[in-house]
Amino acid sequence: MPEPETAAEPFRLQARAIRKSFGGVEVLHGVDLDAAGGSVLALLGENGAGKSTLVRILAGDHAPDSGEIVAGGEAHAALDPVTARALGVRMIFQELSDAPALTVAENISLGRWPGGRGLVRWKQVRERAVRALDELGVDIDPGRPVAELRIGERQAVEIARAISDRARCLILDEPTAALSGQEVERLFAAVRRLRERGTALIYITHRLDEVVEIADRVQVLRDGAVVLERPVPGTSRADLVTAMVGREVGEVTRPKAHETDTAAAPRLAFEGAACEGAFTGVDLEVRPGEVVALYGKLGSGTAEVAETAFGLRSLTAGTCRLRGDEHAPRAPHQAIAAGVGLVPADRQREGTFMVRSVAENISVPSWTRLSRSGLLGRRQEARAYRRWHDELSIRSRNDPEQLISTLSGGNQQKVVLGRWLERESDVLLLIEPTRGVDVGARMEIYREIRKLAGKGMGVLVATSDYEEVVQLADRAAVMARGKIVGVLGGDEITTERLAELAGG
Amino acid sequence: MSDPVLSPEAAAAPSAAPTSAVPTQRRRQVPETAALVVVLLALGIFFSITSEFFLNYDNFVNILTAAAVTGIIAAPATMLLIAGQFDLSVGSAAAFCGAVLASLALHNDIYYSVVIAVLAGIGIGLLNGFLVTMIGINALITTLGTLAVFRGLTQVLTDGQTLSIEQFSWATSRPLFDIPVPVFMFAGIALLFWFMSGYTVFGRSMYAIGANAAAARLNGIRSKRVIWIGFVLSGLCIAIGGLILASQLGAASPQAATGLELSVVTAVILGGASLAGGRGTIGGTMLGLLIIGTLNNGLVLLNVSSFWQTVAQGALLIFAVSFDQLRIRLTSN
Repeated sequence: MPEPETAAEPFRLQARAIRKSFGGVEVLHGVDLDAAGGSVLALLGENGAGKSTLVRILAGDHAPDSGEIVAGGEAHAALDPVTARALGVRMIFQELSDAPALTVAENISLGRWPGGRGLVRWKQVRERAVRALDELGVDIDPGRPVAELRIGERQAVEIARAISDRARCLILDEPTAALSGQEVERLFAAVRRLRERGTALIYITHRLDEVVEIADRVQVLRDGAVVLERPVPGTSRADLVTAMVGREVGEVTRPKAHETDTAAAPRLAFEGAACEGAFTGVDLEVRPGEVVALYGKLGSGTAEVAETAFGLRSLTAGTCRLRGDEHAPRAPHQAIAAGVGLVPADRQREGTFMVRSVAENISVPSWTRLSRSGLLGRRQEARAYRRWHDELSIRSRNDPEQLISTLSGGNQQKVVLGRWLERESDVLLLIEPTRGVDVGARMEIYREIRKLAGKGMGVLVATSDYEEVVQLADRAAVMARGKIVGVLGGDEITTERLAELAGG
Repeated sequence: MSDPVLSPEAAAAPSAAPTSAVPTQRRRQVPETAALVVVLLALGIFFSITSEFFLNYDNFVNILTAAAVTGIIAAPATMLLIAGQFDLSVGSAAAFCGAVLASLALHNDIYYSVVIAVLAGIGIGLLNGFLVTMIGINALITTLGTLAVFRGLTQVLTDGQTLSIEQFSWATSRPLFDIPVPVFMFAGIALLFWFMSGYTVFGRSMYAIGANAAAARLNGIRSKRVIWIGFVLSGLCIAIGGLILASQLGAASPQAATGLELSVVTAVILGGASLAGGRGTIGGTMLGLLIIGTLNNGLVLLNVSSFWQTVAQGALLIFAVSFDQLRIRLTSN
């Protein structure tokens, strides 16, 4: 360590034999973790491996069922958010928890106003902000409202808030998910500075290249247990992938090449399409039976392209054609009537009706067709559900009245896919289709999507997960900053090529 | 501290469980309705023991008659709450329809006046629906505003006086089994809304909107239209309620139906419609209504002051809402 902290002993945060169950299911089976001041620990694992639960226990959001947390030499059976904060453990969430209407300086002092007797000393608020931002090496005007900042800058403000509050252990939860290449560089520079200052950093990610670039040690979680824990130098990507997935894999495998009829007329076609503030000059075709991926980092415009074909936003230039005819839906119901279906990114918020049954969830967009002059019985819905239960291998009790919230994430997603089968849509738009779905189920969903294409649907997948593109797509268009920067076909689609194109 | 939005991983973790061993809605709903029946029976038994006037046919008819207007308005209110919407303007809107009728009937044909009064109710529904869906104001605030507006307009229209209406006593006639007309209307409207909520695309759309408005839109449900129609139906039923009140009284009072919104909301929530939306049944509301009706009736028979009845009703609402919160917390975890 170049510069030891003023305290004799560097800060250390440890978790020992942590167990935690939710609803009778144990999600952490006695997990250890050791984050030392002045180093970066990468925490790696698939969705559902238990990473978030573990760090939430460290940040005091959850209490473990057993085990202990040792922070700065003191052992605790559980932390609450206030204690965790007092100990210097701070977490930066993926979803920013700032106050957009307030200024940068106000955000940094939020909840810890300098001054006394209920008064705020504004000069100190500003000085504190300047100091924290300097320490982080970022150049942001403390007087600007946070709402005006770019996403990476807002994240920097959150980190500045944590360090000005004497954070000694900083937990970053997939911090690069929404950042551009340049912003990622700035984040890494800030992380390195913090490491030099003696802060303990826990860095959650599922991107292997980031582990190699930024971390000193890496710990891999799988199904709630630690399967690998070692220094980064000398650890290969293959080791990490094997540890994460639990079997030998050649990283990611391409499906067998599919013969798509290249002469067939496109189902969906964008010609010089643009949507102000989101994307420009998009030319793209989706043929029947074809899975086309639109790959790019979050914010690159991929989701927005899909949304225009579903009536969620409208093109400001160019055209979108459906089966050759101009397609400019003004609302989702028009797009659905034209034969387009959409699977949104956020299943909980936009996909499922959690308090309703699976039968209802699968038949919603088909209600008008299933009904006879507006009358709709449970029986028609139940029949709709049974039609797709086996076909999509949905794991449930095969009871149409079962609440969808009692299904696992992957099976919920299958129900959402099944909707558009029942609706007989012939163009399917998927946005981040496997976000929040565990590995096993992910493979199944890819198989189902394949099957849908096999039935002649044209499928467009907007995603920020390059491994998904490799495993799923017949063709891939790569977007960066609202423009298509390259198109790959067949075996050209590799993680390296995708990452390189999406670059900065 | 409320959890910030969980990352997908954390959200998926608990649900990664196998699909067995989780209680289903059906298993949970049976005891819910059963609990209401038990409460109703308990109240019935209690009042039967404490009052010699409670347990007889005429008193049951009284309870139903007293509940009829509330019930006619609570039926569409249930559907609105299922879709996550509120209508607080019901009481003053009903009084307004009565006042329209009475003021017109002074110089016009009664049938003509009835038609205009019904149109007034529909108009109020259109207005509420417009403000909520097109202007996008929260339904609670919108209808709190229209509550005040129409109570005020009722006073303007009647000049603060009670206006009597001649030849308009149909609601007091008892065509069958000594039961007055409004009870039959109540039964008919309840049945209609029960059917509508369970077996029509319109009714089911209400559930979908309440369960997840964003998902409803992405599944092609035209939420604004559906909700607007819901408010118009509410307006129509309000007009019917207002006409019944005017007929029962033989007059339109500027203070008619004051506090009706409290009874309606209490019945709906007590009946199991969730403030979180997406859940509730017409049958449940009717049970809730009978509980309130029995409670009020019993308290009158026991000579409890009407001031205390108001206290009891407010307490019942708070109880119902707390119960709902408890349920939301249990199901979301």
